[in-house]
Amino acid sequence: MSTVGSEDEAFEELFTAEYARVVGIANRVLADPHEAEDVAQEVFIDFRRLHSATAQYAPAWLHRAAAHASLNRLRGARRRQKREVAQAVEEGERTLDPQKQVEVAEDRRQVRVALGRLAPKPAAALAMRASGLSYAEVAQALGVGIGQVGTLLRRAEAALRKEVTRGTSN
Amino acid sequence: MAHLTDGTLRRMVDDPDARAGDAAAHLEGCSECKGRFESISGDARSIATLLVVPETRVDVGRAFEHVMSERKSKPAFGLRLPLIGPANRPLKLAFVAAVAAAAVVVVAFAASGLFFKPTTVKTVPVTVADMQALSQLADYGTLTWTKQPQLQAATSAADAEALAGMQAPVVSNLPSGVSTNITYGAMTKAEAVFTFSADKARAAAAAQGKPLPALPAGMDGATLTITVGPAVGEIFGDLKQPAAGSDPSQISLPQLIVAKSSAPTATSTQLTVKQIEDYVLAQPGISPELKAAVQAIGDPSTTLLIPVPVEYATSKDITVQGAPGVALGDNTGVGSGVIWIKDGIVYVVAGSLKLDDAIAIANNLK
Repeated sequence: MSTVGSEDEAFEELFTAEYARVVGIANRVLADPHEAEDVAQEVFIDFRRLHSATAQYAPAWLHRAAAHASLNRLRGARRRQKREVAQAVEEGERTLDPQKQVEVAEDRRQVRVALGRLAPKPAAALAMRASGLSYAEVAQALGVGIGQVGTLLRRAEAALRKEVTRGTSN
Repeated sequence: MAHLTDGTLRRMVDDPDARAGDAAAHLEGCSECKGRFESISGDARSIATLLVVPETRVDVGRAFEHVMSERKSKPAFGLRLPLIGPANRPLKLAFVAAVAAAAVVVVAFAASGLFFKPTTVKTVPVTVADMQALSQLADYGTLTWTKQPQLQAATSAADAEALAGMQAPVVSNLPSGVSTNITYGAMTKAEAVFTFSADKARAAAAAQGKPLPALPAGMDGATLTITVGPAVGEIFGDLKQPAAGSDPSQISLPQLIVAKSSAPTATSTQLTVKQIEDYVLAQPGISPELKAAVQAIGDPSTTLLIPVPVEYATSKDITVQGAPGVALGDNTGVGSGVIWIKDGIVYVVAGSLKLDDAIAIANNLK
């Protein structure tokens, strides 16, 4: 019994420490806080099913799973596009003129469509780094050397840049 | 100094650690690299702006409650999750688990005076408590390895085959995405003798404050000789964590384990199958569900039982290469396995792959 108790306690500690970060990664990909929370909870449920919360690799596993799970959703979901445009307009740069708002919204839609088309590793690296993980954390999650993270980010950004016609560099 | 790579320049955009030393000095004095740096950091800024999202406010407590309320057996959500583990763990675990499971099962259900050699496989749903109860069997006698199993990893099929004395299985239809980096493992044939002891059993029961299930006549001093292996197997995918700075395209994680083993055998004295089965199932802690499942299986002298924790897996009977087998897991890619017995050999195909893929590999295994 004591083993079960301490495993649950360890899981709670892990959950408290990592939940917001896992949601953050998924949200960066999906641009939808509710869906991001769905993904994060599924990731934790799967983790708990398969791994011990005391495992050293636990945070890295969660970060990587969050990136891959949300990218998978992105690939499978055309329905997202409409919602996302609406959201960007609603919450976006209200100071911009309406024409510019529409352009930014369209770029955001395109960048996510393109993100879904990228190879998984560069896409995951970009999502994790954009959500605030350090280079070392991204490296650990993807099982690559820290020197490779820059290469993956560059690959992702160059590919995305090509897909986005207008950009935001007014 | 050669020009800086795109990756190095990209890292210098937003990693303070990268903006030092030779690379920083080079950037300072190289107009070509400076130009590329400007373009790379411009792209990074543009993409970062496009990836801006509304802030999330999470209720960690509520989310935790929701996650804890999910049964652990909830099916996974249809994607391949990464497997990251300590170096070499899968190989050892796979063999040790197989040996331990076979030993427990054989100890529990071997035939009396008969040569036990399973010809078919069945799964038995067990709970962790059931497994722990079975391990108490060690309190009812002594287990002595008369021939210790030797486990060894090898880099070539020939080395592994030499140790095991049997041909390694060959996968003829590897699904795309599974690494072709193979590590071989082998186990020599091992033999153990379990001797029941009425004194030990009584002491064990007394220590737990529980009554000792009545010992069948002849149980005291009865011996059970168990053989396991030899076995030989392969793991597809790297076993070691990558070294820092290694090429990311070379990195893959264990995705598939294929193994075969001589079916475990047991000979025993003084007891009958029924007596042993009843005795084992009467131990404190064995759930009524396990008891019912085991009793429903039929002739334990010909059936190899595969314990499957109830929280973790579903199983179904299948036919593999014309022989009876069981399939575990599902098509989510999180994990699945196929186990079958043909011509006295137990085969296992398992990994973080879809069940359909596992079955296809099993049917084409040579």
